[in-house]
Amino acid sequence: MYEKPLIQINHLKKYYPVKKRLGEMFKKETAYVKAIDDVSLVINRGEILGLAGESGSGKTTTGEIIVRLQEESEGEIIFDGHPMSAKSKEERKRFRKEIQMIFQDPYETLNPRFDIYETIAEPLRIHGMKDKNQIYEKVVQALEVAELKPPELYLNSFPHELSGGQRQRVAIARGIVLDPKFLVADEPVSMLDVSIRADILNLLKRLRRDMGLTMLYVSHDLSTIKYLCDRIAVMYLGKIVELGPVDQVLSNPQHPYTKVLLAAVPVANPDHVKERLLIDDEVPDQINLPIGCRFIPRCPFVHERCSQCTHELHEYSPGQFSACLFADKEQVLNPDRILEE
Amino acid sequence: MAFLDVTDLEISYTVGSRTLKAVDGVSFSLRQGQSMGVVGESGCGKTTIAKGMMQLLPKNGRISAGSIQLKGKELVGLKPEEVRRLRLNEIAMISQSAMNALNPVYTVGDQLIEGIMAHTRVSKKEAYLRAVEVFSMVGLEEKRLRSYPHQMSGGMKQRAVIAMALSLKPSLIIADEPTTALDVVVQDRILQRILKIQKEINSSMIFITHDISVVSEICDTIMVMYGGKVMELSATDTFFRNLYHPYSLGLQNAFPSITEMDEELISIPGSPPDLIDPPVGCRFSERCPFATSHCAQKRPSLVEVAPDHFVACHYTEKVDEFRKKARCNETWETVRERMTAERRFEGVQTNV
Repeated sequence: MYEKPLIQINHLKKYYPVKKRLGEMFKKETAYVKAIDDVSLVINRGEILGLAGESGSGKTTTGEIIVRLQEESEGEIIFDGHPMSAKSKEERKRFRKEIQMIFQDPYETLNPRFDIYETIAEPLRIHGMKDKNQIYEKVVQALEVAELKPPELYLNSFPHELSGGQRQRVAIARGIVLDPKFLVADEPVSMLDVSIRADILNLLKRLRRDMGLTMLYVSHDLSTIKYLCDRIAVMYLGKIVELGPVDQVLSNPQHPYTKVLLAAVPVANPDHVKERLLIDDEVPDQINLPIGCRFIPRCPFVHERCSQCTHELHEYSPGQFSACLFADKEQVLNPDRILEE
Repeated sequence: MAFLDVTDLEISYTVGSRTLKAVDGVSFSLRQGQSMGVVGESGCGKTTIAKGMMQLLPKNGRISAGSIQLKGKELVGLKPEEVRRLRLNEIAMISQSAMNALNPVYTVGDQLIEGIMAHTRVSKKEAYLRAVEVFSMVGLEEKRLRSYPHQMSGGMKQRAVIAMALSLKPSLIIADEPTTALDVVVQDRILQRILKIQKEINSSMIFITHDISVVSEICDTIMVMYGGKVMELSATDTFFRNLYHPYSLGLQNAFPSITEMDEELISIPGSPPDLIDPPVGCRFSERCPFATSHCAQKRPSLVEVAPDHFVACHYTEKVDEFRKKARCNETWETVRERMTAERRFEGVQTNV
């Protein structure tokens, strides 16, 4: 049975113009930071897709464009069969209802002057719910789903009275109270203590199972992506470099950048033998991009043919796509790029 | 005599009219060249230990008891002038937000040279050469000395701060979450660099983090703290093979691993204790699935369960059972139920 995907991203681009310096005033071309550069991606119904990459890779921008916090420069996003560029106010409001976002920092995303009831009731009112009993019921229900039990005890609390984990649950309750179809979670656990991270991850898993929520999970942490997600997309400088089922990608990465990322994750096991892949840890220049593959300046497997790379995704193994010109087995360490520590 | 001996250290903060013991009777020792990882949740006292050792506690904080002996010299009660001489020369700290601590209006090199000249009798030329040397140790080029902080990336700034901390080859390095805000690739390189330099100059290191996997990769010993107390203290590889304390078991469950397949993550229900009014018995008893009434009343002391492996739990002999049960979600669910019941009860009481 073929079902239409919930979200289809076609050739999405987001360019930020760079301010010209005084001496460049008369230059004709403007330089751009290409935060997202021709990204196409499909998110299926009921799926949790992990978006990985380092700072500046464009992962957060992608999430923000989907929730309409930013406008794309080019390309289109089709949500549930409707193009999101729709200009009518009503359609926009509908998108806002069906797509919700959870942010990184629960200390900053909640209004300190709103109690928990008000925090969660606000979106309901904005979207036209008037009946007080109905609102109350919805709020209590959302708190219960977010596992703040018993909910009555939290209703009149203020954010400062709650712990970080509880605050993130409130943010989640607010995110789900409108029964959205799609949730963007941008690093939702990175500010939380380790002992409660698992709780939030398990809660997100449960939301998918019980409510059929589709999610985009944005994180630089591969181990939480591995735990939560079905598929993973790895971004590097605005391009998707690898895409596939999460277990497959992480156990058998095809793109050199994925290999490097994976090798850098610390492992809590003294018996684990690590294969080190050292690369230059300088943040790459986002304006003057190399010709061909964007990973050329840092890639340990770089080859002269890489300047012909167009970042087209190749399916080297079923369901797993890599933007590298070379299949996994053809990637050979370049002796010039071996760094000594 | 060990290189560093910390005995019964107590650090208190005054909050309003009350006192809070953020670090409560912590003892450990360190040999020269050895590194120890300190792990625990926010509020467990790990950063307070670092600040206490550097004598950089905020105004309302003080070392209220215990001793810190570095190479036989007592650090508690030193005059500010003596402490100042000790810093950078003997003890250097790399802190989490260190990269934001750079002064934006001076070049990084000026700040580095200023530190070197304030603590040693060297000419500006010699200080400059030293600065070049430590910069190359952290993988920064000489020309970067002339950069201002805003011209550098986060990772570069963090490396510059590490270079600064290590510029006088201190015998003790205190690193407080030095890589938490950084990307994994950058984190990995910086950890390797810190480790390499620490071995090169043979200094000891206290590495504070919430990430036990980082400790597993770079430290010789590990100290697990909870609510201002030491829960478990051991060599790193024996620790990861033979966890004893229920809190350590809980932490291990909560950690997603990149290598394991089909694992189930279980968090530790509840939150750390209120240290203004701490539990009488074991600090972890409220969140511990194996706690008995004895645990709530009597505080366990550290016992040696194997050579150099110390655990603060009354029931170390039941460890096999604990390890098995700790893997099951139901075990920790009982804690959650207990807590919900208590909260309901309290809610009823306040309503009345």
